[in-house]
Amino acid sequence: MTRLLLKRLLQGVLVVVVLQTITFFLVRLLPGNPFLGERKLPQHVMEQLNSLYGLDKSAWVQYLNYWKGIILHGDFGPSLVREGVQVSDIIAQSFPVSLWLGVLGMGIAVCIGIPAGMLAAWWRNRWPDALIMLVAMAGICIPAFVVAPVFGITLGMHVPGLSVAGWDNPLCAVLPALTLGLINAAYIARLTRGGMAEVLSADYIRTARAKGVGAGRLLFVHALRSGLLPAVSYLGPAFAALITGSFVVETCFQVPGMGLHFVNATTDRDYFLIQGLVFCYGVLIVLANLVVDLVLVALNPQLRSQGAA
Amino acid sequence: MKISPDKNAGNSLWKDARRRLMRNRAAVASLIFLVIMLLACFVLPLFPCIANPNATDLDNIAAACSLQHPFGTDQLGRDLLARVLYGGRISLLVGIVATVVAFIIGLIYGLFSGYVGGRTDVLMMRTVDVLFALPFIVLVIVFSLSIEEPSQHLTAWVVEHTGWSRESVAPVLGLVPLFIAIGALGWLTLARIVRTQTLAIKSQEYVLAARSLGLSHWRILFGHIAPNLLGTVVVYTTLAVPGIMLTESTLSFIGLGVRAPNSSWGTLIKEGADRMEATPELLIFPALFFCLTLLALNFLGDGLRDAIDPKSSKD
Repeated sequence: MTRLLLKRLLQGVLVVVVLQTITFFLVRLLPGNPFLGERKLPQHVMEQLNSLYGLDKSAWVQYLNYWKGIILHGDFGPSLVREGVQVSDIIAQSFPVSLWLGVLGMGIAVCIGIPAGMLAAWWRNRWPDALIMLVAMAGICIPAFVVAPVFGITLGMHVPGLSVAGWDNPLCAVLPALTLGLINAAYIARLTRGGMAEVLSADYIRTARAKGVGAGRLLFVHALRSGLLPAVSYLGPAFAALITGSFVVETCFQVPGMGLHFVNATTDRDYFLIQGLVFCYGVLIVLANLVVDLVLVALNPQLRSQGAA
Repeated sequence: MKISPDKNAGNSLWKDARRRLMRNRAAVASLIFLVIMLLACFVLPLFPCIANPNATDLDNIAAACSLQHPFGTDQLGRDLLARVLYGGRISLLVGIVATVVAFIIGLIYGLFSGYVGGRTDVLMMRTVDVLFALPFIVLVIVFSLSIEEPSQHLTAWVVEHTGWSRESVAPVLGLVPLFIAIGALGWLTLARIVRTQTLAIKSQEYVLAARSLGLSHWRILFGHIAPNLLGTVVVYTTLAVPGIMLTESTLSFIGLGVRAPNSSWGTLIKEGADRMEATPELLIFPALFFCLTLLALNFLGDGLRDAIDPKSSKD
């Protein structure tokens, strides 16, 4: 168990380092540079700016300095476009927003997806199953950027209290979280149905049924634990999908989270901000996968005895 | 073993698979739909009945559906039907080409990893694990932007060496960064599938026979192993297409994918979403086309997988 945890942590560190390295060298290849603003700066000003931020040094020196800053001081450098603002400040402001949105979205996805999948598996190949799977397929094929504006105009305009843009009161989170949640609920429902359907046709369930175990106990006590495995192993990638969705959802609803900052930073060529945000995304995904691994081990005794998987 | 003289006695794997696919009504309907969609996007615009998607008709701005403009027009008086078809062309093109790129990389990587085996295999598969954990869309964004400059050199080179006009090649070559970025990051699942198949085929007797006949590794790999795993891999490749199209349209929607003068379904949906209060058609038509295409691709992919590999079916 400890070995598994250590192995996963080590792999996680590797993932973050690889991600950061790829990003670092890719952003240096982006056409244009952060100082190309409204008016063209004279050559000497440009050179001064470059040396101020250390961008005139060779890529390797910059790369080493960047890591030195992170490891020794926890410093991600300044924003190159917004003067006097540190990348860590932007992250400190936007990270809780994105995290809250992600947690809410995931909560909605799990609360809708798992019961829906269980219902479909229980009534397999009958009309509730067909209906639920049809809706789930639609949920997979209708992208977030179609759902978001439609929600904005239907719910946002007509339900009092909901807002379609901004982040100034708690109700602002409702529509973005709903958009994120419903789309992931579709995947979770399909996986839960698959897993539960397989378990429900297993011999031990038939035995339990023959012994007169009631439907509720059968579903929740006997089948749920192993039937949930496929859905739980999807939660790691689902978290990554939430991040993908968050670019779109944060852009649509003007939520000041990491996704919105990331999209703006790439258009502005704000090197340090891009790197800092990618670092955060990497850490988040690694942590999410780690938690999912632990839950999987808890659900599946076979993995526990193997020790490593 | 004696081979039966009657050709119809046994059913080949492919015959069985085709029969299973044809019985799947959703998959057949999807296949027909996709063929119609491909014809509509790639062939129909060649006929004069479809307007120029960039021509503005200033007498009919934001017009409703009519005979002249079946889907109405946008805020600049451009024919929406033409724009949806041309946008579909770009979306489908990116979806197909990026998938082919991913397919080629995944095939070669997986073949090599599975065939060589041993430590190389472990190392190559661990690399895939690490890459799997990276936030895909983030890298696609950074990568596609960072290879924009080289691809402009490519456009210049093509114009110089082929004599084609810049106007005719630029729209397609402008998509090259997207093809490469999405393809170069979308091959991971395929590489895993190819590797598993390679491992299984490698231990078959006919590969042993080929080896004992002294064939080169190269010929064994591409003459004996690759053709036998191709079918399965192609099926899983079709399953990857909707995901890749979704990536493209997501990028285009947030303004980091397909750019003007090109437009894809993603950019059309963006334009429509901005004006959906006044003219909801601008959102509805592109979104409908896009969602139905994804739906059909998903049903077809599922049907193909069930047909060729019934054990992995979810039912």
